[in-house]
Amino acid sequence: VFGFFKNLTGQREIDAATLEPVLQKMKTHLIDKNVASNISQHLCDSVQSSLLGKKLGTFGSVSTLVKDNMETALKRILTPKTSVDILRDIEQAKARSRAYSITFIGVNGVGKSTNLSKVCFWLLQNNYRVLIAACDTFRSGAVEQLRVHARNLKALQSSHSVGEVELFERGYGKDAAGIAQDAITYANNNDFDVVLIDTAGRMQDNEPLMRSLAKLVAVNNPDKIIFVGEALVGNEAVDQLTKFNQALKDFSGLQNPRHIDGMILTKFDTIDDKVGAALSMTYTTGQPIYFVGTGQTYTDLKNLKVSHVVQSLLKN
Amino acid sequence: MVLADLGRKINSALADLNKAPVIDEQVLDGMLKDICGALLASDVNVKLVQRLRTNIKAAVNVQEAGAGINKKRLVQKTVMDELCNLVDPGAEPYKPTKGRANVIMMVGLQGAGKTTTCTKLAYHYQRKGWKTALVCSDTFRAGAFDQLKQNATKAKIPYYGSYTETDPVAIAMEGVDKFKAEKFDIIIVDTSGRHKQESELFEEMKQIAAGIEPDSTIFVMDGTIGQAADGQARAFKEAADFGSIIITKMDGHAKGGGAISAVAATQSPIVFIGTGEHLHDLDRFEARPFVRKMLGMGDLSDFVEK
Ligand SMILES: Nc1nc2c(ncn2[C@@H]2O[C@H](COP(=O)(O)OP(=O)(O)OP(=O)(O)O)[C@@H](O)[C@H]2O)c(=O)[nH]1
Ligand SMILES: Nc1nc2c(ncn2[C@@H]2O[C@H](COP(=O)(O)OP(=O)(O)OP(=O)(O)O)[C@@H](O)[C@H]2O)c(=O)[nH]1
Ligand SMILES: [Mg+2]
Ligand SMILES: [Mg+2]
Repeated sequence: VFGFFKNLTGQREIDAATLEPVLQKMKTHLIDKNVASNISQHLCDSVQSSLLGKKLGTFGSVSTLVKDNMETALKRILTPKTSVDILRDIEQAKARSRAYSITFIGVNGVGKSTNLSKVCFWLLQNNYRVLIAACDTFRSGAVEQLRVHARNLKALQSSHSVGEVELFERGYGKDAAGIAQDAITYANNNDFDVVLIDTAGRMQDNEPLMRSLAKLVAVNNPDKIIFVGEALVGNEAVDQLTKFNQALKDFSGLQNPRHIDGMILTKFDTIDDKVGAALSMTYTTGQPIYFVGTGQTYTDLKNLKVSHVVQSLLKN
Repeated sequence: MVLADLGRKINSALADLNKAPVIDEQVLDGMLKDICGALLASDVNVKLVQRLRTNIKAAVNVQEAGAGINKKRLVQKTVMDELCNLVDPGAEPYKPTKGRANVIMMVGLQGAGKTTTCTKLAYHYQRKGWKTALVCSDTFRAGAFDQLKQNATKAKIPYYGSYTETDPVAIAMEGVDKFKAEKFDIIIVDTSGRHKQESELFEEMKQIAAGIEPDSTIFVMDGTIGQAADGQARAFKEAADFGSIIITKMDGHAKGGGAISAVAATQSPIVFIGTGEHLHDLDRFEARPFVRKMLGMGDLSDFVEK
């Protein structure tokens, strides 16, 4: 009986020549979905090495096999390896009578301030007392932008909820690290649960600005460092994350420097199924995507659905 | 430098061609693989890259090319032509005329750099002697008017906006009318960020345009944008019929290939490049000299003109 089945299923061995065109197509497909090109290459290479020499049944096709294998790889990369339960962390800090702090960092215009405000809304819904620290002291209107958000969020607060929001600001031109420090002190003295630290956008190659960010992090040692990246970004995603991490390491002057703890992926509503940035970012950092920004209002903050992203990535 | 990485890779692919004793199918394929790989790594649209490859292969056709033809020259010329076509749509950008009001409207995706670029552009024209003003019709984004106001104040450029009016069409029209009456030469109108997936936002953009009838609409694009560029650019083109493109944030590591794909998708030229957050960080852009510079070639007339 076994012999019969064995015959029927053929048992061809998969060689490089058979895989090449299929993988080439897969690579282009991933790039078209906005996955960084070198990451697409790495992924295809790893699929190749896991499939070479494997037996292929008569009924199986190489392309299905590649697709299945890729699906597994994508799922693995996108699935968080650490806890993304920020509320639990906040509770732990609270138990120690200490304000929990989150710093939002990233390049210009990606949505740091807006998504900080969305996170604030979410925390308010969970009845926390939140202090927003306006540490972008450079970009025109940055302070007023947060002032408007704080005002809006206050107005949205229903009378029966215990959540509360306040803005901590010191105007423009001042040292961001110092303001963050003062904000954290203020929060601890005034019974705030969470401090959300907004920072100025900066290019990853701008050394003076990257140094000052590293200083802000080193001085304040926030509980979470969240990199805000937009889903629109292409190959630059890799360079941004690598260099932000590198700067936190190189310019901190600390024995045990910090790194990016996770990401918020913004403007997810602007890219249809070209969801590759989600993969580029998780692949590059090995860190989770805490939230996905899906619009410009306070409720447009969602959890990443890994299966949804994988599906979009593989969809033709 | 902008696109330098890409230029270097393409250069080295072309240089490999020079080292090869004969140009056969294999050498050509190798070169195309390198060039296309470099373009993809710079966010140039996938379909555009595929087309470029096909075009070059068809134009060169190494097997049929007679022995008398200098194949290397032919390949280099074809590559150059294709690259130029990629960045240069051949359309003339809008030029403001003296003696009347020139209304320029800025549109683009959220956070692309519109507001910042508005002031940079106004400053650019002001320094050239034009009487320039700014209008903020972004009533959506928190702090949008303060942002424009602070920038305009720094640049000493008159501005118009409102903290209370919520209708962007009304503000845009009021501002433009006011500055027209005051005989300004160039009036630049800032608008909210928007995206093609939200049709109401696009409708609003059309209404602003219908209200102020801009002489020129400029699509502002983030230089780091990836493969979503093509779709968004096409949609903006269709809804706002912009005449030119400004790419921002080119002071970093970005190679701008996504934005370049928008040129091909919309047949609209890039007119300026943003190279920083400050007022003067705006460079003029001209396609052909740019490609020439990008490939580190002094004079390409040899290749391009024949
Ligand atoms: N469609 C969409 N727009 C978003 C999203 N998140 C933020 N935005 C918009 O993106 C633009 C920029 O957002 P900001 O929060 O100012 O970005 P930022 O990173 O703080 O910018 P800088 O501080 O100048 O570096 C605004 O118009 C936001 O409304 C999102 O998830 N979807
Ligand atoms: N490094 C750099 N930053 C830039 C450049 N142009 C704009 N920015 C920054 O990008 C961010 C967003 O710019 P904005 O002008 O607010 O963008 P916008 O398109 O008006 O944004 P919305 O109105 O929210 O859609 C700000 O931090 C700017 O300082 C540039 O050429 N280089
Ligand atoms: Mg901000
Ligand atoms: Mg703006």
